[in-house]
Amino acid sequence: MLPWIAWWSGLGRAWRRKRMLALYWCFHTLCALAAALPLMAIAVPQLGRSRLGDELMRQFDLAWLAEIYAAAGAALPAAATAGAAASAILLAGAVYLAAGAVPVLARDEPAYSQEIFWRNAGKHFWPYLRLSLYSMAAYGAAFAATALLQRGAEAVWGEGLEARPLVMTGYARLALLILLSGLISTAMDFAKVRLALSGSRQSLRACFGSLLLVWRNLGVVFGLWACFAATGALLAYVYVELAARLEAGGAALFALLVLLQQAYVLARIGLRFAAWGAAAELDPILRPLPEPQPAPAPAPAEDYQI
Amino acid sequence: MRLWLTVLAFSLPLCAQLAPPVASYDIRASLDPRSHTIAGEQTLAWVNSSPDTVPALQFHLYMNAFRNSRSTFFRESGGQLRGDRASGDGWGWIQVDSMRLDDGTDLTPRIRCISPDDGNPDDCTVIEVPLPAPVKPGAALRVLMRFTTKLPKVFARTGYHGDFHLAGQWFPKIGVWETKGFRYAEKSGWNCHQFHANSEFYANYGDYRVELTVPSRFAVGATGEMVRRTDDARRGTSTYLFVQPSVTDFAWTAQPGFLRVERMFEAQKQTTAEELAAVARLHGIRAGDARLSDVKMIALIQPEHAEQTDRHFHALTAALKHFGLWYGRYPHRTITVVDPPYGAGGAGGMEYPTFITAGTSYRLPGDVFTLEMVTVHEFGHQFWMQLVASNEFEESWLDEGFNTYSTGKIMDKVYGGTSLPLTVFGRNVWSWLRLPKLTQASMDRAAHVGYPVRDPLATRAWEFYDGSSYSISSYSRASLALRTLERLLGEDAMARIMRTYHQRWRFRHPHSRDFQQVVNEISGRNMDWFFSQFVFGSRKLDYAVSEIRNRRIGTPVGVFDSGGRKETLTAEEGRRRDREREKRGEKPQYESWVKIERLGDAAAPQEIEIRFRDGRVERREWNGEGRWIKFAFSRAAEIESATVDPQRKYALDVNFANNSRKADYNAALGAQWMLRVLFWAQNAMLWMTALV
Repeated sequence: MLPWIAWWSGLGRAWRRKRMLALYWCFHTLCALAAALPLMAIAVPQLGRSRLGDELMRQFDLAWLAEIYAAAGAALPAAATAGAAASAILLAGAVYLAAGAVPVLARDEPAYSQEIFWRNAGKHFWPYLRLSLYSMAAYGAAFAATALLQRGAEAVWGEGLEARPLVMTGYARLALLILLSGLISTAMDFAKVRLALSGSRQSLRACFGSLLLVWRNLGVVFGLWACFAATGALLAYVYVELAARLEAGGAALFALLVLLQQAYVLARIGLRFAAWGAAAELDPILRPLPEPQPAPAPAPAEDYQI
Repeated sequence: MRLWLTVLAFSLPLCAQLAPPVASYDIRASLDPRSHTIAGEQTLAWVNSSPDTVPALQFHLYMNAFRNSRSTFFRESGGQLRGDRASGDGWGWIQVDSMRLDDGTDLTPRIRCISPDDGNPDDCTVIEVPLPAPVKPGAALRVLMRFTTKLPKVFARTGYHGDFHLAGQWFPKIGVWETKGFRYAEKSGWNCHQFHANSEFYANYGDYRVELTVPSRFAVGATGEMVRRTDDARRGTSTYLFVQPSVTDFAWTAQPGFLRVERMFEAQKQTTAEELAAVARLHGIRAGDARLSDVKMIALIQPEHAEQTDRHFHALTAALKHFGLWYGRYPHRTITVVDPPYGAGGAGGMEYPTFITAGTSYRLPGDVFTLEMVTVHEFGHQFWMQLVASNEFEESWLDEGFNTYSTGKIMDKVYGGTSLPLTVFGRNVWSWLRLPKLTQASMDRAAHVGYPVRDPLATRAWEFYDGSSYSISSYSRASLALRTLERLLGEDAMARIMRTYHQRWRFRHPHSRDFQQVVNEISGRNMDWFFSQFVFGSRKLDYAVSEIRNRRIGTPVGVFDSGGRKETLTAEEGRRRDREREKRGEKPQYESWVKIERLGDAAAPQEIEIRFRDGRVERREWNGEGRWIKFAFSRAAEIESATVDPQRKYALDVNFANNSRKADYNAALGAQWMLRVLFWAQNAMLWMTALV
């Protein structure tokens, strides 16, 4: 029941932070615009002028992408470099916002102001950034471990005449990678909560502590992650099914589609908040704070003899 | 004698259509699966069907392409082909142990390696054997040869992987003697090219009788019909006899694990009377001549692909039916499709007479039609390569391009578009995400547009700019050239052209100019401009609507001569008169024009469609030769849009987006596109930031 309760509580904490949700949405949308605008600066003027634009809206044609590539392919290396730089800025921005959001969700205090948010962001940014870098090492280790599994399979069956064992190993590898990534991601949520609540700056300690916590409470943490994974999958399913019905419509349905798309983006951000909220809910249960030590009895007054 | 009797027995029912044999083979070969070696002896019966006296013979020894890294094939391919890479230790070779004429003259000491294409002294994929006495016109020659072939580890078309063996291009094969004028040859001589990275087929027709001895546990498939199996219990071997008249090559496969499945293509069940009548009507033939033959379909399937067996047969059935109805019936009795195992992908997607190899993968999703595409395509080579035996070395577009065009028509007709394999745990999410299905035409255009036009279609395979230029020109661009012809000349005319070309050149060796001649003859139009630019030239086709202008014609203002006096009409007075005219309900007049520009270096006649705001549509024609042209109009409605080539006849045009232009920018449409891209960018960023 514990994962379920934490999941529900996490959703509640996220729901109470709508202004923060809006801020996150703005950030992602601005970054997306920054990425999309140069791309569309090439394509949209052409599509807005050409009758092909209407046709592509009804039935997309792969060949058009090749036309765009042929027309603007020379700019691709520059665009890739700009994209890499933008990604670095995006990731740093995401860490900064997480540093503002997690303490608010962890404490779940009714009072919320922009000032509190930005103060948290400034205070926790560097520890969170270090934590992100450490987490990359953890993800890398997970990737390497699963790659090793695939390599082993290739050593055993690679020269064989059947793909089946390798394909099955591939499935197992993917499943393991998803599971490990999920657990690491959840562990990092715990670490963020730990840093936020303790005010500590010891990211490495928080990282290892949280990984250990996940290891010791594997069932609960896996259950929590499964709840969120299932919610995410359900959201994606609902989005794809609804979007397919709206795609074929006219202007009104297209407006609805845009609303649906942005609702989906908001829901994904909300899930991220809920995951942090759930970690905050579970943290004191899985990691009880040590009992406060009784204060030592005052020493009897000594007689001073002069 | 044995060869001729056996072949005669099998060719009698079909002899009306078959080719006179020029190079026939009687081969006995045995496979040692441990060393992957074939020991063979063959009798070649060659007829000098030319008016020339032939002083020497030339043979292909294709397998020497895999002898070492200095062969022309290795130098050109860099040891990798079609996504597969040589493992480095699986070399292959062929050695002619002895060669003599049937009068006993030993030719072995006369054998020497030659490199007619690139002079590479390390390449020995062609040998020349000077004869003690030249072969006179019409004379026949019998050459007895013993040879040893070591198969390479599969990475390019042929070889072994584990106990799977695919023997393609495995025996010494004589070249083609071309007399002056044959296929527009400038002088008489052997056409016997080295084994290159990107081409391999050109041979005379002949009759084949091949005995293959393999361990009894192996299942065997080969070109032609198996007429006898003899088991030798003591040695644990079996000998299979295959016979096939009127083909240009012989390939075979052996593997213990094959699932062998046979089904019949029953022509009467697969075609309706209406279909036959329609074909007869279109081509002006009797319905009986449109009829197809029954064919035994044989599939050798890997056990782990057993559930895909029906898909192969379905694709084969569709191909037998449509190729047959369109170009003429498939004249042979069998077609064998081989499914290579995992790790032998390099042997997949290959074509040999009556024998093809498939391309699939374990748990291929049902809506990904790559299996069907490969099977239909490789079967299609029975028509474009085998029955019409063009020279793939020199004009690869005549088989790969014609076949891609034909394959695309069947795939689109029978299967619609295909999804791409975007699988997660074996489930294809491409369809679930409702991503668009891809048609062959769309994929061909994507390849054509994405790669610059660098070579004429009719370029020798090893003289293309690079491997991409070879493959895009030979397959996609050539297919689009034929689609363009189809749209320019009409579907029915194109159907007649293709069938006439096929029938006229069936069991013969055409040149691109022969196809050009058929196009001009059947269409009744001179299409030389098309061939000179797109087949024998490398022109880029791109027309664009570059400008639309609408200008309202108001009352003229200024100084005018009126009865010997100068009269001035002010701008204010002009505007007043315009307003009065509007009040009277008179429509304003517009001076409009549209400019069409030729951006590419190809010139082709163009049709231009101009739409006006009052709903009227005007059409104009332009010979397309200048750099640009302006069409001006003066009427009571503005131009709304203009489109050059509105029916998209020119599939070769590299940019469809600039083919049309609207007078007003459609901001709503632009915004819709922007919002779509924005959403996907938002999601991509959420995925990126999910981990930090």
